[in-house]
Order: sequence, then C-alpha cells, then structure tokens
Amino acid sequence: MACGSTSLWNGEATWFCCGNAWGPCASAGGGACGTCKSSKLHAAWPNASKACWDITRPDLCGEKLPRRGCGSVMKVRHQCSGASVCVTVSDCGPRTRSFCSESTCCDGTCRTNRVIDLTPAAFSAIGSLSSGMLPVVIFE
Amino acid sequence: MSAYPTGDPLARRRFLTAAALRGATVIGTGVIGATALGAVDADAAFAEPLRALDPAAADSTFVEGRITWIDGGLLEVAGSWGEYARVRVTGATSVWKVRATTAAAIETGDGLYARGVPMPDGTLAADAVWVNIVNLHTTLRGIEKDRLHLAHGSHEIVGHVLADTTSVSYSGAAPTVDLSRLRIGQDAQVLGAWRPSDDSVELVRVAVGPGAGHRR
Repeated sequence: MACGSTSLWNGEATWFCCGNAWGPCASAGGGACGTCKSSKLHAAWPNASKACWDITRPDLCGEKLPRRGCGSVMKVRHQCSGASVCVTVSDCGPRTRSFCSESTCCDGTCRTNRVIDLTPAAFSAIGSLSSGMLPVVIFE
Repeated sequence: MSAYPTGDPLARRRFLTAAALRGATVIGTGVIGATALGAVDADAAFAEPLRALDPAAADSTFVEGRITWIDGGLLEVAGSWGEYARVRVTGATSVWKVRATTAAAIETGDGLYARGVPMPDGTLAADAVWVNIVNLHTTLRGIEKDRLHLAHGSHEIVGHVLADTTSVSYSGAAPTVDLSRLRIGQDAQVLGAWRPSDDSVELVRVAVGPGAGHRR
C-alpha cells in the first residue's frame, strides 16, 4: 500500500515499545494486530477498531479520528523539520482521553492531543526519542 | 564544535563514514551535545527550536536490543527477535542515558535503540543511541518522596525520582520538579531509563493529563 499525500489528521505523536525483550517492554507482545515490533516502522492508531476506540476515546478530547485498521499505511511528518516516515498501523493507541489538551509545539505552532503512537524505529526517523513527543501532520 | 558539517545533504553520512572508518571513538571525552538528528536532554528538546533533519536521515537504519559486548566504540547487540548487530559509536554519535552523556556510560546488559548509517563492514555507524530509554503509559499506584509505584499493563514498576533530573508536566504545562500534585489513580506517561540491575526505572519526565472531557 502506498504512503500517500492526502491530509488525514494532525496532532501529537508519542512513541511506545512493542515486541521487544528488554526492560518493562519485555512483556509487550505484538500489539492489537499481533505484528507490532519496536524495530519496525509501525504505529498505533486510536481508531484501529471499535474496541480500540472504546479504550482510547479521542472524541472525548474533541478528535473524531477516522477508522484505519491493521495494515493501514500513513505518512507521519514532523510539522517543522519536514522529516517524514511511512508507518503501518499495527496496534491500538495512544490513550488519547488520558491527556486531553496536551500540546507540543515547534516554531510557534502547536499540535494538540495524542493522535498517533510510533514505534521507536519510526519516531526516531523524524525526531529524538528523548523528546517523548512531537507535533506531526499525518497523510495517507 | 558542530558534530555535523551543514549545508551538504550528504555531510552527515560522510562524516559518520569517516569517523567509523577511522575508528574514532569518544570514550571518556566530554558530553556530546545535541546534533541535527540526535538525542538531547528531554527538557532541552522541548525548549530549543527543532532544527531541520538532515535529508540523509531517510537512509538511516535502526537497531534495537541488549548490549552483549563492548569493545572500545563497538557495541555488540542481541536483538529481540534473534538478530545480531554491531553498532559503532563515533565522535558524531549523541548518547542518551537518563541524560545526554558519553559512550563511557554504556554498559553490557543495557537495552539499546540506535539509529545510524549501515557501513560496508556490516556495522551501524550510529548518529544517536538511546540507552535503556522507555516511554511508558502507566497508572500511578503509589507515591513516595523518592519513588513512584507504577502499573504498566499488568506489571508493577518502581520509578525512582532523581533529584536533579525528574520533572512533572501537569496537563501539558511546563515541567516542574514539584511532585505534590500527583494523585494515585492518575494515568501517567513516563519517560525514563530502565535500570537492568533491579528492573526499575529512573524517572526523567512524568506527564499527567486532566483526563477525558477537558478541552481548552
């Protein structure tokens, strides 16, 4: 599936581990889709399924994200640097509802609410893991 | 000194290649600062304007796993899926382990995320390595002066408060060292460093939100 250029959403990107065998993530499995790996260019989307939506509830933060299931491909672009990465939806997350109104900014422009969670491999392709979150624009 | 020459899209690759081929290591040298791509102190990362990533980043390769052997600037890494990698730390590498540090802080048994450029000899010339870094969605189960008790899925984690490092962000506000407004039962995002010796986490930044239904 192609990594497209049609605007889909924008907001904060965080990162998470899945399928790796060290530290607190040793117990992390392959995610909701069963295929997620920290070393791959994968992502978690809050509306990967109805069950996922019921957990993440981005709508409670004002985000009515469209459903994109396992295997969907998105391009995630850092809103300021322009660096981008193509990712495959492999899990459910982040839990948007827990951090409503949280913002991340660069160059004076902020993006609000957690709308996508990237694996370390994907996140590090567009920023530093030590920042924890990035403002992004998402395409499909 | 700037770690990477700028203005040339291939400068970073050439620099890393040259550094790796020369075997230039940085063990015992001063702290490696932020690079165009690399790891920086978390607070600094928020405070400083983000610089444009080098276009060569699109060609970067990623390695994940446990460090099984260290030979000078060469790290041998056992991946979580049975793969094996050798990561070369050069003078161009930024190193994060709780904070920006030097390669001397890396130990056998540490967990590693590394990003860099594949070399002809099969090694990865790293432009950034993050040692033991974790970024966990947790729930606060207990609060003490010097530690937090966290639930991560079905697992309990002890999070150590570092007097000179740990900060808390309440509802997206600027980080503070004041932990007094943390409450048991809150969801908390924890950026920190796993401590292999006792399977705990050293806390760098804790973010808690107002929860659902709170919009600006």
